Amino acid sequence: MSDASKPNPAGSGDVPPVKKADESAAQKAAGAPQPAPVSAPAVPAAPAEPKPKVPFSPVLLKHIHEPGSHTLAHYAARGGYETARSHVGVTPPGDLIKLVDDSGLRGRGGAGFPTGKKWSFLAKGTGKPIYLAINGDESEPGTFKDRYLLEKDPHQLVEGAILTCYAIGSKHAFIYLRGEFILGFQRLHAAVEEAKAKGYVGKKIFGTGSRGDASPEVDLTITVVRGAGAYICGEETGMLSSIEGGRGYPKIKPPFPAVSGLFGCPTIVNNVETISAVTHIVKHGVAWHKQWGTEKSPGFKIFCLSGAVRKPGVYEVPLGITMREMIDTYGGGMKDGRKLKAVIPGGLSAPVLTAEMVDKATLDYESLASLGSMLGSGGITVLDEQVDMISTIYNTMRFYHHESCGQCTPCREGTGWLEKVSHRFHHNQGHQGDIELLGDIAKNMRGRTICVLADAAAMPMQGFLQHFRKDFEAKVKETAFVEKQRTYRDEITPTAKTITATGAGPSALDVGSNGSKG
Amino acid sequence: MSTQSTVARRTEFSPERMAKFHEYAEEYPNKRSALMMVLRLAEEEFGSITDEAMEIVAGLCNVAVSHVQGMVTFYTHFKRPFHGKHRFMVCATLMCALENNTDAALDQIKAKLGIKPGQRTHDGLFSCEKVECLADCDQPPVVQCDNEHFCSMKGAVLDQYLDKLLKEEGKSAAEYAAKAPVAMDTRVPTLPAHYNFQGGTEKGARHFDDKDPYFKAGEGDLHTQVPGPLATPLTVPVADGVNGKGTVSNGRSGHDSAGGAFNGNGANGKNGAKHV
Ligand SMILES: Cc1cc2nc3c(=O)[nH]c(=O)nc-3n(C[C@H](O)[C@H](O)[C@H](O)COP(=O)(O)O)c2cc1C
Ligand code: SF4
Repeated sequence: MSDASKPNPAGSGDVPPVKKADESAAQKAAGAPQPAPVSAPAVPAAPAEPKPKVPFSPVLLKHIHEPGSHTLAHYAARGGYETARSHVGVTPPGDLIKLVDDSGLRGRGGAGFPTGKKWSFLAKGTGKPIYLAINGDESEPGTFKDRYLLEKDPHQLVEGAILTCYAIGSKHAFIYLRGEFILGFQRLHAAVEEAKAKGYVGKKIFGTGSRGDASPEVDLTITVVRGAGAYICGEETGMLSSIEGGRGYPKIKPPFPAVSGLFGCPTIVNNVETISAVTHIVKHGVAWHKQWGTEKSPGFKIFCLSGAVRKPGVYEVPLGITMREMIDTYGGGMKDGRKLKAVIPGGLSAPVLTAEMVDKATLDYESLASLGSMLGSGGITVLDEQVDMISTIYNTMRFYHHESCGQCTPCREGTGWLEKVSHRFHHNQGHQGDIELLGDIAKNMRGRTICVLADAAAMPMQGFLQHFRKDFEAKVKETAFVEKQRTYRDEITPTAKTITATGAGPSALDVGSNGSKG
Repeated sequence: MSTQSTVARRTEFSPERMAKFHEYAEEYPNKRSALMMVLRLAEEEFGSITDEAMEIVAGLCNVAVSHVQGMVTFYTHFKRPFHGKHRFMVCATLMCALENNTDAALDQIKAKLGIKPGQRTHDGLFSCEKVECLADCDQPPVVQCDNEHFCSMKGAVLDQYLDKLLKEEGKSAAEYAAKAPVAMDTRVPTLPAHYNFQGGTEKGARHFDDKDPYFKAGEGDLHTQVPGPLATPLTVPVADGVNGKGTVSNGRSGHDSAGGAFNGNGANGKNGAKHV
């Protein structure tokens, strides 16, 4: 059903992006690098890439438009599970961890933590089982990449999970999907069952232990868990709490999950896209992965483009392309020729970029960090000049207030107050001090809570206050004007309020302050 | 939802779902961790997670009913008895709300079913609510209903879908226009299910004492009065109440610095005069 209602959702066919990548390469070579040198001194982390540009065609999303891409038959026909078969029980796990570490793969879930490094932090020799928990909660607004990976290519993820579990020595992987991914859940579940039937998942996978090559037995269980509509279950420890059968309450870190996670055992948490990419990195090697991207952000990533562009959708591109290229080339430019006002670059939590910053930004972790924002989960939302920034921030704050789990006071109350005060602005009731109040609340929420949802709520607020303060001030002026009108009206028809003011003024209050006037 | 039935309550799922439960119990490290999935079973079995379902789930997963209730109230996607049979969930987060897509979808639903977000039709067949990001932000508005997911759900597509559902139920838009909808009472049920429990099964009988505010001794073994729904909504304007009472109780007609913030009305003698 949802297939039918989604005619050709992503605009990223196999051919066009390749062509476009070439085009942009040609543009660059033809002397287009105007913004790069200008921003180079201010942005030390993003030097003009010295690497020659390698043409790129989608890797993770390559097959999503082919019918039946979610079936084992389709996956096997394109060499599926061969990588896992050739490595499981053969390659020493440490080598796989090193390979992923060398490839420079960084987590695609939001924080961008180097994946190989995370794996190497795993507590060893505890005698406890090790778990892999794959994060498919994808509730960061503006992000919809994992949906495609789960619905269109679940076997790619399952193979990645097999390789990862083998590398970290885990016998049990949990894949946590948000409850709203109904089709994704069905397909992933079916994919795991198919893999089980083939002996890729289960006991002695790929015939290890009886292949005659002295490989040790490798067992693996993959459990698909369905969440039920809580953003906070995307936070890694919140997700673990949910898998443990509780409310999705995040836990204080340290101990990090790699030391004490699921059921108190060492656990690795990775995003669906990260694990899917592992499949290809193990298959093609480090050099292959490093031919794209920048020094510190190697490889490719899926970006989700939404908002006022002509062709919104998912686009898999090498890291380090310019934001402009993403919007103008992939996104087809602004819708109806509108003017760009701002861009939210990495899911709703990422501080907003103004039009000038957009010209400087490139899509890698360092460039966006140097602009005071973040790459996050790769959800790019383009806001045009018609968008009212005040309603935008109000909507955003409502989201965080709704999704705060309520464990920490600064977050529970802070998100509530941010919502209330921005609601005030939204309804023309914001006064002068309120702008400072918003800034103050946001500042006091950061770094004082169990998980970073509080920061994730405060960051967009601070971003908007910093870059679009004018919008808030205009609203305050408007309010003052409206209220002046109202006062004038009240003076004509005196109300109880005005009588109070004259009848029992401040002096009367002073006299009775000690209660002597019974 | 908390009916006072004396019919023996069910204590298990149907055999197929029990089989499924045993599968989960084997796969998960402990029974508690299977809760998310077992609650989904309950949802399938009962159509929504009723008090009775919570009781069964608690028994199966070896946790307190209150824990299950805590889960069900934390996770918003579980279907509850107060939701309509067809539950419309319309994404209201920024990406969908831009260009008024959310409002367009909500208006169409209102036009056909007469319900706004937070409401249910009088017959309980349809309900509508705003939800947060449904992760398909490139094709707004995103709507989910009956375990189906729809993108770009406005205009003719949405109307057709609404008509289809109306036809299936043998209802018409005119009926819903004529009869007022009801607000979905999303509060936790006032009583946990087992207060009405018949007892006598291995996990059924629980002990209550007289201190329990809901248990009235002398009303039979395990039968209690179920408080009906509150007549007034929970959001009574609080300031007014505080204001009136505060003035009266300390016997002053309002010249009270401690209560200064609330004394706007009292000071002009409007409230206070009556009592002094
Ligand atoms: C409030 C909050 C929500 C998050 N939501 C998600 C999410 O929906 N999906 C996800 O993969 N990671 C999410 N994360 C990031 C995870 O905590 C974690 O960093 C990530 O899953 C690690 O995987 P990676 O190293 O592969 O990126 C969220 C983090 C926070 C603080
Ligand atoms: S910061 Fe917010 S969401 Fe995170 S644990 Fe604290 S209250 Fe919960």
